[in-house]
Amino acid sequence: MEMFIAALIELFQPSHFPYLMLGTLLGLTLGILPGLGGTSGLAILLPFVYTFEPGVALAMMIGALAPTTTSDTFPAVLLGIPGTAGSQATVLDGHPMAKRGEAARALSAAFLASLTGGLFGALILSISIVFARPIIMAFGFGEQFLLILLALLMVGALTGANFLKGIASCFVGLVIGTIGLAEITGDPRFTFGTLYLRDGFPLIVMGLGLFAVPEIIGLLQSRSTIAEGGKLKIGWLDGLRDVKDNWFLVLRCSSLGVMVGALPGLGGTVVDWIAYSHAKQTVKNPEKLGTGDIRGVIAPESANNAKEGGALIPTILFGIPGSGNKVLLLGGLILVGIEPGIEMVTTQLDVTYLIIWSLAVANVIGAGLCIFLARPMAQLTRVPFYILAPVLIALIFFATYNASRDWIDFFSLMAFGAVGVVFKAFGWSRPALLIGFFLASKIELLSYQANAAYGWSFLTRTGSLILIALALATVVFLIRQKGSEVGESSRRDQKGQLIFTGLLALFPAAMIVAISGLDPRANVFPIALSGALLVMLFTIAVLQAMRLNPASSATVNRIAPLRIMSRNIFENEGTLGDHLRAYLILPVFFGLVMLLGFPIAAVALINGFVLMHDRSKYIVSLAISAAVLIILWTLSGALTLQYPAGVIANIISLPWWLGGAY
Amino acid sequence: MFKKPMRKLLGSALIAATMLTGASAKAEVSFEGQTITVIIPFKEGGGTSRVFRFFQPYLSKYLPGNPVVQLQNIPGGGTIKGANFFHNNQNPDGTFLFATSSSVNIQQATGNELAEFDLSQYRPVMSLATSTHWFTRSDLASGPNDISGLQARELSLFPFKTASSADLFHLWIYDKLGINARPIPGLSTSAGFQSFLRGELQMASQGTSGFLGKVVPEIEAGNAVQFMTLGVLQADGSVARPSYSPDAITFPEMYEKTQGMPLEGEDLEAFKVIAANWGPASKGLFLPSDTPQDIVDAWRDAIRKMTEDPQFIADAPGNIGPFPVVIGEPVEEIFANAVNLSDASKAQFNDALKKYGMTFRIP
Repeated sequence: MEMFIAALIELFQPSHFPYLMLGTLLGLTLGILPGLGGTSGLAILLPFVYTFEPGVALAMMIGALAPTTTSDTFPAVLLGIPGTAGSQATVLDGHPMAKRGEAARALSAAFLASLTGGLFGALILSISIVFARPIIMAFGFGEQFLLILLALLMVGALTGANFLKGIASCFVGLVIGTIGLAEITGDPRFTFGTLYLRDGFPLIVMGLGLFAVPEIIGLLQSRSTIAEGGKLKIGWLDGLRDVKDNWFLVLRCSSLGVMVGALPGLGGTVVDWIAYSHAKQTVKNPEKLGTGDIRGVIAPESANNAKEGGALIPTILFGIPGSGNKVLLLGGLILVGIEPGIEMVTTQLDVTYLIIWSLAVANVIGAGLCIFLARPMAQLTRVPFYILAPVLIALIFFATYNASRDWIDFFSLMAFGAVGVVFKAFGWSRPALLIGFFLASKIELLSYQANAAYGWSFLTRTGSLILIALALATVVFLIRQKGSEVGESSRRDQKGQLIFTGLLALFPAAMIVAISGLDPRANVFPIALSGALLVMLFTIAVLQAMRLNPASSATVNRIAPLRIMSRNIFENEGTLGDHLRAYLILPVFFGLVMLLGFPIAAVALINGFVLMHDRSKYIVSLAISAAVLIILWTLSGALTLQYPAGVIANIISLPWWLGGAY
Repeated sequence: MFKKPMRKLLGSALIAATMLTGASAKAEVSFEGQTITVIIPFKEGGGTSRVFRFFQPYLSKYLPGNPVVQLQNIPGGGTIKGANFFHNNQNPDGTFLFATSSSVNIQQATGNELAEFDLSQYRPVMSLATSTHWFTRSDLASGPNDISGLQARELSLFPFKTASSADLFHLWIYDKLGINARPIPGLSTSAGFQSFLRGELQMASQGTSGFLGKVVPEIEAGNAVQFMTLGVLQADGSVARPSYSPDAITFPEMYEKTQGMPLEGEDLEAFKVIAANWGPASKGLFLPSDTPQDIVDAWRDAIRKMTEDPQFIADAPGNIGPFPVVIGEPVEEIFANAVNLSDASKAQFNDALKKYGMTFRIP
């Protein structure tokens, strides 16, 4: 208790508090841009940590870290761009709300949920940190493996209108997740001798391709603004009220967030999806989620900020980063002389409390500022498409590049963008694909590790039994929910959908061929997944083919299991041909980047696109492109970021940041 | 409240072993107004980034003309991406450098076909001599330096990243000691240590800084026992105990103790490859291959001045560990030992890989 008060006093000292605020502002400003956020904020601060007083450095680092999962909600809701992995699920309902003109409501609800989650996380953390060690220590390979299986099952709720297509989507993700060096033997799988594919695809780039690209395509086709009709509802206070009305959901998802963040194995990255699935399984009228339901915003937002608190537990107790940005925080903590370990909850408890409560206060400040900004920022959804779309394209290319600083990622962005467009048009589940992808390597590795360390005996450990019970409950729940769904298949473009199902089967088939010669420890897992996927795709194709013909369609309707499986087997949103025409702007921009380098290409795209639509708007296009250029230049300096060079860098001498030589 | 960690062991141990480079920098080299870029083939926040971030202000201070020093992280492909980037963008004017760790060495040592770089071509500036420490659970040993408990077990598990990483050396080490070991793949050093603490693994190892920071507290709490260090390879080929862990026996000592004969011949040669990679070649800083001698000298001179800075001497143990900084030409030979494997050594490691059922081989 003494330590607790000492920490509280220290928190509001002039040597601490102002710097905490400064760090928060830095984190917040960066977080609004997709692809940046707390991690970049810490990367900017780290070089200065040596020159600051340790206490000041600590305050600034925590400040920069805290609002990451708060301010990334702006691009997720307003633009449909998941800037960090933690805001991917927020897009599903947040962005449709923005399209209805309810951006302010979605944002303010998201921020209040985020704030509540963050505070709840800090509260749990202050109590549990003292006795969390034995719980975490009891969580071995077996428990971690079962936790991941449970997460995979929970995501069954995200399969979209047709259960079979949803599971197949998940398996597509699982098979993609096995691309790269084999987890157990280190053999390259499906890499075609390239360096790039050895590491597998980056999650953040897949998220941008699957979710942001289809939204930009949609905006281009609408030839209007994001908010349909350009009208905004006020709704700011409604958002706050929504959180109050759904307080129990906030509480449940925050608890989920803390647990997932603290426990080893799963990592915090997919906690937003788990919370979203949880909401989908437990709320009334779950079919409304995904169409712009406020509960679909509240659930992931309350979880992903609570996770930050949870992820601090292993960071502080064991020096093991609980999530991506904690790696940098850990580096920073060591720099200022804080060594993680058991002393953090004994003799150094005051420092621990200072960290926890700095995080909480920074959360309040960050979310408070964001709520304040929700209304003005919502105006972004009224910007006409010909100005917004080119900027968004430049933004997602930037976010892609910044993820691992490799321009080859642009190919992945475009490839997954195309997959996203077709998946969206034909009713395949993009979230299921993404989760499958993320969990594949963990499932493969942990099943091996659990078996090597325990044989089968891990199944009878207490933690395992609890997790198995939860998994069974989830399965029962899913069967009941999926069995009761209703819906009618779309009638348009059915042949095209059948052809796509066939094309999709080429991928697992190619995988089986490519890796059949490897050691069994390297290829059993992907071949089993690919085989299962082929069976599913075959079933889907047969059902689709039967639905095409009226006579066989009647047979399907007579047999109950076939009827349930083929429900919504065809789905259609928009016309694929139109989508793909609009999609062409991505390869065009990529060509510009290859020619001019990224920053100049962005300027060219913005000016070219705006002026093609309205020649009189040259002041607008010049001003916006100048602003983009200045931001890119500033970030280059702050993050030691060299943008991809174009061909012209070989002809004329350019400054370093534009791709010039060293 | 914010004490720099008390590391009584280390305070005195930092010896800036300035194996001197001869001439000091000539007056005409100046980086005034220029930006130095150090390519780091790892993510921000990793060990190599941390070391060079710590050096950053001192480099600015002691390089002629006080240039800005920036670190550019290019992670991916198991360090090959960053290393190839350095190789293909070499600019020999002294403003473009490459920071390495043993993960870089191993890609070259094991002949990875995607590696375009060649460490033995470049001009070395400095290296940092670390060591490795092995430990087991205290209930499996009667005290420090005892592996009889492990040798008696039917199977002892240890953490293992992947066969194509420097972890392959573990296979050779455990095999030579006659421990029936089984690698648990896919575990980073920290995840492996957590699993060790959970009691799932019977033995593990850490580099010196991780060992002092994380393992020593567990040893003091009675949960773990150190049984061996890598030892420090000396210029005359002998192996000494590290000054910061004087009571733990080295691998050659353990070999002699348990196998009843000294480590010699091809075994000793293979060990020296490991000792170089995990020892003095575990962190390095390189200039491009065609860098003029006066620029190389200016860099080595700046590093030497850095190691003599009283502030550096005071802060280094807490930030980079108690390691001697090795400057100049000796580094060249250290890295040559680490990356150029004789056929006999390759055969030694491939034998170990085969024994443990690994598919990976050194070509």
